[in-house]
Amino acid sequence: MRKRSAQLLVVLVLLLTVGSAALAQKKVLDFLWFTDGIEGEVLKQIIADYEELHPDIEINIIEVPFQNLRTRLQTMIAGGTPPDLARLVNVGDFAPALLDLTPYLGLEYIEDFVPSTHRNVVIDGKLMAVPMDVTANGIIYNKDYFAQAGVEVPQTPEEAWTWEEFIDKLQIVVANSPARFGLAYDFTFHRWLTLLYQAGGQLFTDDWKAIAINSPAGERAIEYFVELHDKNIIPRSIWLGGENPNTLFRAGLTAAHWCGNWMLTNYRDNIDNFEWGVMYMPYEARRSSVLGGKYIATFKDAKYPEEAVEFIKYFTSQEVNARFCRDSLFISPRLDNAQLDYEFGAEMFEIFSNELAVSPPVAGSDWAHPFAGRIGDDFREIIVEALQHELTPREAVEKMERVGNAILEEYMN
Amino acid sequence: MKSKRLQLIPYLFILPNVVIFLVFVVVPALYGFALSFTRWDVISEPVFVGVGNYISIFTSSSFWETTQRTLVYVLTVVPLTYVVSLLLALLVDSNMRLRTLMRAFFYVPAMLSAVVIGVSWRWIFGDYFGIINYFIERYGGTPINWLTTPGWAMLVVILASVWARAGYYMVMFLAGLQGIPEVYYEAAKIDGASRWQQFWRITLPLLKPTSLVVLVLCSIESFKVFDLIVTLTTGGPGRATTFLVQDIYRWAFQRGDLGYASAMSVVLLLILGLLTVFQFRLTGIGGDAYE
Repeated sequence: MRKRSAQLLVVLVLLLTVGSAALAQKKVLDFLWFTDGIEGEVLKQIIADYEELHPDIEINIIEVPFQNLRTRLQTMIAGGTPPDLARLVNVGDFAPALLDLTPYLGLEYIEDFVPSTHRNVVIDGKLMAVPMDVTANGIIYNKDYFAQAGVEVPQTPEEAWTWEEFIDKLQIVVANSPARFGLAYDFTFHRWLTLLYQAGGQLFTDDWKAIAINSPAGERAIEYFVELHDKNIIPRSIWLGGENPNTLFRAGLTAAHWCGNWMLTNYRDNIDNFEWGVMYMPYEARRSSVLGGKYIATFKDAKYPEEAVEFIKYFTSQEVNARFCRDSLFISPRLDNAQLDYEFGAEMFEIFSNELAVSPPVAGSDWAHPFAGRIGDDFREIIVEALQHELTPREAVEKMERVGNAILEEYMN
Repeated sequence: MKSKRLQLIPYLFILPNVVIFLVFVVVPALYGFALSFTRWDVISEPVFVGVGNYISIFTSSSFWETTQRTLVYVLTVVPLTYVVSLLLALLVDSNMRLRTLMRAFFYVPAMLSAVVIGVSWRWIFGDYFGIINYFIERYGGTPINWLTTPGWAMLVVILASVWARAGYYMVMFLAGLQGIPEVYYEAAKIDGASRWQQFWRITLPLLKPTSLVVLVLCSIESFKVFDLIVTLTTGGPGRATTFLVQDIYRWAFQRGDLGYASAMSVVLLLILGLLTVFQFRLTGIGGDAYE
């Protein structure tokens, strides 16, 4: 009996030792992630394939809501435990904590990606992140409501409406359909910037050292946005009351939603009671969208920085990136993935791509500024003051210039 | 030797609490105070700026606007909560039927999280999805922009706050009421005092200690309001319902300046300290109980 017990004990100890050794060899990389649509599921499949190729690697996805990304990442960095990988929207925000990828990938790695993304990821001559997808602002509309009102949306870029025509058309749709409002408009400065570029303006000077929004174009963009609210085209409850614009569009309260291509999977999976599509955005001085993007990066103090870089290389390779963007219904940032074979919404991507192609360079480079996010929060509040008629459009752009330049001076010093 | 050991025992009992208090309250507070003299975005190293943050705060018009707004909120919510919770306590302390059930009923909001309360009140007062506007429209009226008009939004926030807390303070007042000896009321009745005189001359003075606790706790809680605002109005419309704590959060996690946010926290602490001292003095005025 004693002998049997001793034998069992030895076997147990051996098993534990071998098991621990096996577990100890596996490197677990933490990947901080947020999801707009279904790309989280696509990522999991890609990770599963990667883990099959690298049995010593396990990637743990830490998913957070987008609005919590910055806070969560700040906390992790402050606590000395940054993730090994992170999905970012503004690389400059976290540049001091990121690992310089140049020694691993070479600066020439970015040459495979669309030029308008370069300024976002190359900071002080160093490659700090790699683009994983490109986003475009745009308008998704309720086809049933427009058909009911007898309004046909522009079918070609040449037919795009002017800003005033856009208001007229939406008013016709609201008057002749169940829509209560013409347009749900995302409560973000990034989305509002579309109007600035369409009016012919820009946010920063070309050298990024000062605010350039105090201009006739900036004033016109605010004036138009206020007009959209005063005429009840856009419900006040979004920018003034925190109402979710997605909810308003899905519930059929608004005839259209000014958002971007990242909403396609959400609406494909969640809207089944009306037909919807993408329309060409209106214009004032010029046609424009806003280039955005998501980037993947690792950190100086990550547990496994080299393994993280290997995954970045894999994830942003032509084949894997094509799969990620095609299955997630995203636009690829790679030049060799310009034409992807989307299962859904190919004609919608044509519109988004066309609008990106005609956008001025500042529509991409402005948001690459390291302080764009911080300035954007303050500017959004100033726009809200204009919506409440506490400021005229002129006063609003003047205040933006003062506040923005003060922030730039403070942080650059 | 044995008596020395016995003397140590009480300290050993309170030691865990003291350690937790030091680690989770005192040390972070001291660290925050030290941070208030720096500029720190969390990602880079802190940079010492001396009293620069405090100068920026006191010369910022935004800070004074937010403080004024916070004081309006606090000076409305606290008296309202005091009166409502006292009235509720008087009601459930009477011989009314179902008083036990009513006590539980009034206390339920105190058990809900602020997030639940915020979301629920949004469903009541929402401009397009709220039940109140639904009935207003249904019966031919014009919906009210409860959450997108500054004045209405502040009112909704105040009402939600009072509704959320009255039950909790009602329990404190109830305990205070039940601690008043019945003999005082009997003597007052014999002397011909009316119910109002009994309340004013006996109940209220003898509730002074409870009143002080309620006022202090309610004031501190009001200054710290956060979850309710974030879920109900997100601080809007504009900044109409943005108070000091929301601003501290914004500076810390959106503007990324923990130094400035820490300095604002220290200023808030000073405001609360002054308010507490003022309340202690105020409840010391008014004379003694019924004689």
